[in-house]
Amino acid sequence: MRHSIGRLLSFAIALLLSIAVAGPQHRAAAQTIDDIIKRGKIIVGVNTTTPIFGLMGKDGQPEGYDPDVARLVGKYMGVPVEFVSVTGANRIPYLLSGQVDMVIALFGITPERALQISFSIPYASEAATLVAPASRQVKTVDDLKGLRVGVPRGAMQDLILTPIAEAKGINLMRFDDEATDLQALISGQTDLAGTGLLVYRTLNRNDPGKNYEVKIVLRELHFGIGVRRGATDLLQWLNTFIYAIKNDGELDGISRKWRELPVGDLPVF
Amino acid sequence: MSYVFQFGTVWRELDHLLLGAWLTLRLSALAMVFGLAVGVAGAQAKASSSRLLRGMVQCYVEAIRNTPFLVQLLLIYLGLPSLGLRLTPDQAALLAMVVNLGAYATEIVRAGIEAVPNGQIEAGRALGLKPWHIFRFVVLMPALRTVFPALGSQFILVMLASSVVSVISAEELTAVTDTIVARNFRSFEFYFVITGIYLALSLGFQALFAAVDHALFARWADRA
Repeated sequence: MRHSIGRLLSFAIALLLSIAVAGPQHRAAAQTIDDIIKRGKIIVGVNTTTPIFGLMGKDGQPEGYDPDVARLVGKYMGVPVEFVSVTGANRIPYLLSGQVDMVIALFGITPERALQISFSIPYASEAATLVAPASRQVKTVDDLKGLRVGVPRGAMQDLILTPIAEAKGINLMRFDDEATDLQALISGQTDLAGTGLLVYRTLNRNDPGKNYEVKIVLRELHFGIGVRRGATDLLQWLNTFIYAIKNDGELDGISRKWRELPVGDLPVF
Repeated sequence: MSYVFQFGTVWRELDHLLLGAWLTLRLSALAMVFGLAVGVAGAQAKASSSRLLRGMVQCYVEAIRNTPFLVQLLLIYLGLPSLGLRLTPDQAALLAMVVNLGAYATEIVRAGIEAVPNGQIEAGRALGLKPWHIFRFVVLMPALRTVFPALGSQFILVMLASSVVSVISAEELTAVTDTIVARNFRSFEFYFVITGIYLALSLGFQALFAAVDHALFARWADRA
């Protein structure tokens, strides 16, 4: 009996591994710039469910702050960009399993995440916020008692609110992506939605009359480009690249185009 | 292969996983009961003489069987509030599963009913049974017995499809796992373990179906 379970298990593992290895055509695992240039394309994970930072455009190509930065990466590397859609929850597995070379997807820089992957210096600033219609009376996290607060699963708002949700009586609801999180707010299925600093503008355009506004700024944060740990060559190039596009105004142009704000001062590390 | 498995992380989160599995189990069991009820009602309606009723059921079956479950789910959770019907994620998930299973069950039970020989029904009439008794004992029970294996497969499929309801924040097994993985990034270990949990749930349900089959239909087999 024990023997047969062991055999079944090893068969199952072998099956899983063969799927993991043979399956996705996206399998990239380029660790250096030379790998990428030799292959002739760069594979970038972007989130296409996040207004301003990344949405699927009418032509089926991602558009927004992050895709534009990705296109600049491609421009300066001299290779075309292949986009892969990732979510907040799966972007690290996509990186670790080698399906993308890098992730440019509102990736907030945290020490916990940096245990798994490496971050470039920041290329964008944002804030984790809670947004609601103007009529909702909320000023601090303490006012959230008994309210339904939607967050994108695994995003910064989730990480900040989860430890305090129970004690503060917050009904925290986790959605698979930000689009569903925002849709739930519009449908009235949640009272507040965890999102970014500027998304309320998109909400007001698409659902006028409710005057959505930022109710609580949970935390200021900065986004970095995520690469696999150990890809020091690629990481060093990205840091140089970010320095350069900050200096020559290209990043400011992207920021003004999508955020309608100057890029501002970004810290370096 | 440089990946280092850390199954200890799974062990630490086991209570969360079990809580998620419990919701998966509850949603699935309720969906099976109500879905079968919808299926029997639907199949009965399809056998009715009213053309309108038959047409309505046909529309329902075709609409559900030819659209993705995920879309049905989002329509119920995010769409119905515009009509004033606001369901919690768990309620919306259950309703979507029942509506979905009901359509498939309708077709399966209908097939079973059509397989009942006309002579059997005539024999029931000849014995002076009331129409309701004929439907229940002469048509439905033998029909269910015929299609029970197909129903069982459909039940399992609905249980597996329940993993999709994580998108509307119903905290079933997959949702709980996604949340944990988003925090500790041990995706391989966790998905490996919940694969095992889903497998155990499927096998458990299949054992239950076999027991139900035996308890309900064994005596029918004797007489057949």
